[in-house]
Amino acid sequence: MFLRYLKFTIVLINLIIPTTALFAQDNSAATAKQVVEKFQADLISVMKNGKQLGYAGRYSSLESAVTNSHDLPKIARVIVGKEWEKLSEDQQKKLEDLIVRLSIASYAHNFKDYAGESFTYDSEEETTRGGVLVHSHFNIPNDKPVKFDYMLKETGPSWRIINIVANGVSDLALKRSEYTSILQKEGFDSLVSKIDGKINDYSKL
Amino acid sequence: MSNNQQNFAINMSAKLIASLIVSTILCLNGCATTPKTAENEKDPYENFNRSVYKFNDKVDGYVAKPISDGYRYITPQFIQTGVYNFYNNLKNVNVVINDALQAKFSQGAQDTGRLALNTTLGLAGIFDVAKNIGWEQNEEDFDQTLATWGVPSGSYLVIPIFGPTTFRGVPGAAFDTAANPATYVGGAVNVVSLINTRANADGALKFIDEAALDPYIFTRESFLQWRNNLATDGKYQASYGPDLDIETEDNTPKKDTNK
Repeated sequence: MFLRYLKFTIVLINLIIPTTALFAQDNSAATAKQVVEKFQADLISVMKNGKQLGYAGRYSSLESAVTNSHDLPKIARVIVGKEWEKLSEDQQKKLEDLIVRLSIASYAHNFKDYAGESFTYDSEEETTRGGVLVHSHFNIPNDKPVKFDYMLKETGPSWRIINIVANGVSDLALKRSEYTSILQKEGFDSLVSKIDGKINDYSKL
Repeated sequence: MSNNQQNFAINMSAKLIASLIVSTILCLNGCATTPKTAENEKDPYENFNRSVYKFNDKVDGYVAKPISDGYRYITPQFIQTGVYNFYNNLKNVNVVINDALQAKFSQGAQDTGRLALNTTLGLAGIFDVAKNIGWEQNEEDFDQTLATWGVPSGSYLVIPIFGPTTFRGVPGAAFDTAANPATYVGGAVNVVSLINTRANADGALKFIDEAALDPYIFTRESFLQWRNNLATDGKYQASYGPDLDIETEDNTPKKDTNK
């Protein structure tokens, strides 16, 4: 039961990770809700053209969708927790780069086709820490909808997604447990090697 | 299968479950000196749990997956769906009982209607008629009921064959097994139920293999968050709690975000 439920929950949240603020100007006036809805629309669009685009095409299209909506520097810091301060500047840059590539690669691999899926906005609320939570759900034909909560914070002049919680499972919390454990037990090089391996696998599967 | 054979099968299943749980608890006592990882108090028996996880993974790879693959290969999709619906409908008995135990009377009324509709018009649950009229399946079990009554989840635990749970989840699963009619139908039916469960989990297990850097932690964190979310009916938000205090994790100054 857990694993069946997990399928639709994890398949999606694990992919909706970050990016860089290079395109911050694009969404400078967008509200948190608009950032989320634009990202969801981009995702559905890529899914609809997934087969024609192929892996490389999907990767290319999703790169801008992800980078325009997420806050990579903040996510990278949160994902490794207190280990972040122990990393050198080069290692921090390397980790950020890997997370971007991993996120886009996993999207390109998993969102390869379209079968009538859609997102529906539910509501939004401000958090006590000055963030905004956008509640929505992902509709899957012939299956239960998956609840998606997006947490956004202000980055420069715009709002950026920093976490996605799908049916109660937090992508940030999940990744932080994994990444900090590997860093502490096996070291930075092992973490880099594992992420590189995943990116490579996604391009081949 | 005769009544004696059925009783024997049920007794053996019960003994197997009991022995696995007892041996796990005994082993945990033996492993009490396992050093607790300071950063992870929710999983103080991680070393033991990882061993069981590896064992379960081997069993799955050598036994469960080949059988499940064979089942999926020879069974048409509509029959697989019917089998899934049948067992899912039986599980609704548990849902209705736990609705009542949690005083969710309105939801309980709908779940009772769902059970009645699928058992009759849905031909013993083979067809999910209720879903077509918008009565989605609710997830309620005795572990959630215990949580509602204020029982803490306890440490994370991986049980041989059965997989991830918590200390609270063990009596929860025992109660749900006892309350599920499938338990008393017969050994062959329970075997089909297990194969069906494994077949339905195939996509999720494949995804974990593809996505996880550390499948053990990936499974543990997903499971614990998912169970917390169910136990609190979606009110628990792991990401927003103090354990993921984003502001303390970075050194960027706070900005006025009141827009």
